Amino acid sequence: MRTALLQILLLLAASAVAQRPAPAPPQQRSVLITNATVHVGDGRVIEEGAVGFRNGNIDYVGYAYGVRGTYDTTVQAAGGHLYPGLILADNTLGLHEIDLVRATNDEAEHGEMTPEVHALTAYAADSRTTPTVRANGVLLAQITPRSGLVSGVSAVVQLDAWDNEDAPVRARDGLHVNWPSAYSRSGWWAEPGSTNRAKDEERQRRIRELRLLFQRARAYGHDSTRVKDVQLDAVAGVFDGRMALYLHAQAAREIQEAVLFAKEFNIPRPVIVGGYDAWRVADLLADRKVPVILARTHSLPLRDDDPVDLPYRIPYLLSERGVRFCLSYTGEHERMGARNLPFTAGTASAHGLDREWALRAITLDAAFILGIDKRYGSLETGKSATLFLSTGDALDMRGNNVTLAFIDGRMIVLDDHQKVLYRQYLAR
Amino acid sequence: MLRRTALLLLSGITTLCAQDNVPVNGPRHAAKVPVALVHATVHPTPGETIRDATVVLREDRIESVQPGGKPPADAVVIDLTGLHIWPGLIDLYTEVGMPAAKEREPSPRGASYWNPAIRASTHAARLFSSDEEKAVKWREQGVGLVLTHQRDGIARGTGALVWLAGRTPVQDILLPEAAAHFSFRKGSSNAAYPSSLMGSIALLRQALYDAAWYATTGRQEQSDADLQALYEQDRLPWIAEAANRNDVLRWAGLGREFAHPFLVRGSGDEYARIAEIKASGASLILPLTLPDAFDVEDPFDALEVNVRDMKHWELAPFNAARLHAAGIPFCFTADGLKEPAELWGQLRKLVRCGLDSVAALEALTSVPARLMRVDDRVGAVRAGMKAHFMVTSAHPLADGNIIHETWVAGQRFVHKPGSRQDPRGLYDLNLKSVILKLDVKGTVQEPEAEVFRPGADSVRVKADLSFKQGLVTLWFDAKKLGLSGPVRLNGIAHRDAGLWEGQGQLPGGEWIAWSALRDKRNRSNGKAPEPKRAVLDSLLASEPGPVWIPFAPYGSDGNRDSATVIIRNATVWTNGPQGILRNADVCLHQGRILAVGQKLDVGTLFPGKKKPEVIEIDATGKHLTCGIVDEHSHIAIERGVNEGGQAISAEVRIGDVIDPDNVHIYRQLAGGVTAAQLLHGSANPMGGQSALIKLRWGASADAMQIDGAPAFIKFALGENVKQSNWGVSDRYPQTRMGVEQLMADAFVRARDQADAQQRFDALKPKDRTNAAAPRRDLELDALAEILRGERFISCHSYVQSEILMLMHLAERFGFRVQTFTHVLEGYKVADRMRTHGACASTFSDWWAYKMEVNEAIPYNGALLWKKGVVTGFNSDDAEMARRLNQEAAKAVKYGGVPPEDAWKFVTLNPAKMLRLDQRMGSVEPGKDADIVLWNTDPLSIGARAEMTFVDGVRLYDAQRDAELQRLIAAERERLIAKMLAAKKAGATTRRPERTRRGQWHCETMGEEP
Repeated sequence: MRTALLQILLLLAASAVAQRPAPAPPQQRSVLITNATVHVGDGRVIEEGAVGFRNGNIDYVGYAYGVRGTYDTTVQAAGGHLYPGLILADNTLGLHEIDLVRATNDEAEHGEMTPEVHALTAYAADSRTTPTVRANGVLLAQITPRSGLVSGVSAVVQLDAWDNEDAPVRARDGLHVNWPSAYSRSGWWAEPGSTNRAKDEERQRRIRELRLLFQRARAYGHDSTRVKDVQLDAVAGVFDGRMALYLHAQAAREIQEAVLFAKEFNIPRPVIVGGYDAWRVADLLADRKVPVILARTHSLPLRDDDPVDLPYRIPYLLSERGVRFCLSYTGEHERMGARNLPFTAGTASAHGLDREWALRAITLDAAFILGIDKRYGSLETGKSATLFLSTGDALDMRGNNVTLAFIDGRMIVLDDHQKVLYRQYLAR
Repeated sequence: MLRRTALLLLSGITTLCAQDNVPVNGPRHAAKVPVALVHATVHPTPGETIRDATVVLREDRIESVQPGGKPPADAVVIDLTGLHIWPGLIDLYTEVGMPAAKEREPSPRGASYWNPAIRASTHAARLFSSDEEKAVKWREQGVGLVLTHQRDGIARGTGALVWLAGRTPVQDILLPEAAAHFSFRKGSSNAAYPSSLMGSIALLRQALYDAAWYATTGRQEQSDADLQALYEQDRLPWIAEAANRNDVLRWAGLGREFAHPFLVRGSGDEYARIAEIKASGASLILPLTLPDAFDVEDPFDALEVNVRDMKHWELAPFNAARLHAAGIPFCFTADGLKEPAELWGQLRKLVRCGLDSVAALEALTSVPARLMRVDDRVGAVRAGMKAHFMVTSAHPLADGNIIHETWVAGQRFVHKPGSRQDPRGLYDLNLKSVILKLDVKGTVQEPEAEVFRPGADSVRVKADLSFKQGLVTLWFDAKKLGLSGPVRLNGIAHRDAGLWEGQGQLPGGEWIAWSALRDKRNRSNGKAPEPKRAVLDSLLASEPGPVWIPFAPYGSDGNRDSATVIIRNATVWTNGPQGILRNADVCLHQGRILAVGQKLDVGTLFPGKKKPEVIEIDATGKHLTCGIVDEHSHIAIERGVNEGGQAISAEVRIGDVIDPDNVHIYRQLAGGVTAAQLLHGSANPMGGQSALIKLRWGASADAMQIDGAPAFIKFALGENVKQSNWGVSDRYPQTRMGVEQLMADAFVRARDQADAQQRFDALKPKDRTNAAAPRRDLELDALAEILRGERFISCHSYVQSEILMLMHLAERFGFRVQTFTHVLEGYKVADRMRTHGACASTFSDWWAYKMEVNEAIPYNGALLWKKGVVTGFNSDDAEMARRLNQEAAKAVKYGGVPPEDAWKFVTLNPAKMLRLDQRMGSVEPGKDADIVLWNTDPLSIGARAEMTFVDGVRLYDAQRDAELQRLIAAERERLIAKMLAAKKAGATTRRPERTRRGQWHCETMGEEP
């Protein structure tokens, strides 16, 4: 490990000058990381394991003593933990640099119906936020537009890219629909807002418009060589499974409606996003194999009467009920706070969910839901070498100390401008 | 028997003369003819009864009320046999005859107070105009006297006590200035200030101090009609409006401060703080409105209804009964009802729920009279009182009672002319030779008649009956009864309607004399009482569930005293010189930590004295720490966290607006938090005064505040106070340069003000009378406290320049900045902060949410700590506050702070920032027993608080929490079943609505989002 560490430190020193580290070149030398605790991502753990990879692909996963091949570099990682790269679902990373600076905001297009907009177009691969998120093990993300009723098409990207051409892992990943909420959030107990009848009619109107869009898109003769209608063209992909349909819905009623909507149009890959009440309609979701991108576990209960720890416990409730899910960090501070994604999984594991299944909810199951599980999400032979080494438990604040990270076998630079500032002012 | 129309009665039998100074078109009615009401059952007050009494009225007064008695010879006699006389009703919370408020410009017109929400010079008596259309509706319910005021503003001016007698305002106003009215709502004022509840309270408080100053000094310097009025209103009763029970206590507090109690128009939820309201001495005006049940058929819809709202639906009808039982004085108002006609129905519901019927009536008669200090004139039917009473068929609270007449200041209003004769019953109808049966049913007002032949098998023929003023018209087609065609009859109903007689025409035109003699009375109310309503009535009056304290989910129904507790074999993070102790015991006794050590012995701990009962808790494998102290919190604040209306709002106090029933308090106990500084927001450079609280779940707002805690205030710098992110703004300051000068200027003014006060105080008493007393300015007072080192600053800050600026400014004025909060660029000026002596209360890893945090780094905490600054992490967020232990662990991750020191980031260090470290922040004997027992190392991701003690009381317990969850579920089920039954029985319902609790952050503007 000593030699490897030295190399890494040299690399760090070289990049420390730059505010933003340069993306790494393709893997040239084969690497074996050995004697680590290998967290496969599918629930399995290999103590004293090893992972070897060359040309960007994993060619060995198993016990350290089982390694047969030879590798250019061997990292002795005793005491360390090896994980698949964490996957951040449903996020606006790279779409909005600073919350309150409007000029940096590219997350929400104007209008209620904007299926045509594509997150990848505006994605800033060189965001200053990205290196800080990567530094805690998050190596892949689903970049998602936010607005109106139909917000647009998301993209799954790897987080060590020069631009939006080398970033995408799945460029047109899915269409996002914000299912109209049945309940307004206005009022509070001492001054409850009155139930607005017009509001309910407004909601029904929006659902009708949504249905009309899908009816037109299904009837529309999609022709990949010639675009006739930018909106309908954008929706077309959800009918044949080229894209997933992400239905953002929190309350039980809304989830039911969204699932039935997907059924009505025979959508092959519907996904519920948010899903606070998903465990209440778990049978529906499990029967129809509709997975859930779960809202941030570090959230307050939606309702006053809810158990205090319900948001922490929902992952456990879903796993008990056989619903496939992954975790997200959606909400306030979702980009800069996304480096806490592993800790939201850790919290889920403190509240009932098995630790390795908590990991799975930010690795393999996230990959499955985003349609990238053939390549990513777990440490398995043949899959992409997208992984990281932590000196301790990566789901714990004190254990999460990422010393090595690879995306498609490329050893990425883990430094960021915040560490640079730290070093500068420590020396002041 | 009387056969006069209402109009006739109005102009004829009225005991009062016309306005004497107004020219009359024709002769005046000079004779003042008395009226005698005879044979009625008189109830001088709701609890008294005089049978067969004679009441003599002269002009607008009652001359005498005597049992038996003889009417004066010159009196008009009205026979009220069979009827009752009750005192007329008084409603103290109306806006009868008031014009709609016009929007008031921020720049005052005329000599009025600088803030248009202070409208003390408004006189209802000058605005009042009679509104007969509405007055009729009131009188029909027996209400003849109301207090009316214009509901606009915070100080609303005076209300007038007016008769609803339909005369000119000159005649109808009993007391032009009966009370002064107040609220916490600024109403039509379009001034920016105040924008929050605490701002409203601060404005009113300042205006009341200004009024006192005006009376002595100010009037010599200026002319202010509102201050003049406010000062003069000191002699009147003060009436205030409350949005909820917390407001009731707020008004009580203001009443104590100004030695003038408020009569508070409550909201109907007072039952949930009954002990505190009783102790406050408050008197109330209670609404008769009751919440509707929810539609809960769909279990998913029902999820959106909180158990608290369900319980309120069940408990609200019991509110009045419980307040009465507790001895809290109150009267009722019909305010809030759709129509005054709902008044009696609502009152009956309250009586069915246990309210004493005499108390119910007193609350609309003698109590309001006494509260308005007019009980010498109104509120009872006695000699010498104003003639204000109602004439009813029965007890007013009896189902089916009819209010026949209301007398208002001697004016008689008959609502149902003639209707006091009840024609219903079975009659023998004698048509010369033919005898038929006449059956009169329906209501007294709208009787329905059928005619048939004697004998059971007869056809029943519908008859058209008109029964007005004792005049009878009856016709029916008698073909099916053996006659050849229609029978048409006219006649007169004799006394008590038992005998009708007159002339009529038979088929063919023959004139006959006819009569109808009642055989059987039919007193029932026509339509048989609806069985459904009876079911509903008894359902709603059935015993309600317990009132949880606090009235919120996870509230408790039992008292939780501070017991003596020994927690054994824990890993104890002492935060003191002993560091972390393994297998140690901690004893909590009388709210304090008594002892910390290995194998504590009860005998040694309590030598000689009587041994207290000790609860032993085995904490093997667990970790014990002191409670988390959150230096920066915005939970449990009601109706506005920012008073953003002015750049300086040092006068507003978070302590005025604590909501003790806020579920966030419990949620944070579950995260191990035991104390917090509730801060004003960051919308202005010199914000409001903090409240330092312990999370004493169940205690009142006042009892949550930490006794003897030092005074704190929120300051803020940077983008928020420059209003950089709110679109267009023209408020000074717009730059960090301006922020500095605004603060400097305020401190100069505060110092000058304090000096002036000091000079005045130093004068000899005889000199003081001639000197002008300085005006008390609450804003400058607070700033002067900072200058004197009696109030400490928590300053919202981000970039290095502004942090340096405030330290310079403080040093120039000779004080020290206690804490920079957020302080995300603190790492750049850490050395300077250390030499100044400022603490740093920061976030673990926040950044990039605004331009000024673009250089924020997660190593900030570690760097500040390494440079010797007292450093902590705060939440500023109701969610993160539940995981501050995780945040502390990030100080280990980012910058390598040792775990024991990282833990102090959320405990001892914030306690130091709040200058409470003598009492909290470590597990050492003598300190407050604010203790958390964790399942494991509190810095680990697996950590969960299992028990949280505040002052030695176990306010959170994971096992108890599971029980409470079951209790809430069971209570919900019970109430859902009850609501479903109520709906089935005809109760009106409303659709569920998610009422998610708003969350405050620094930057939340206005009232609850």
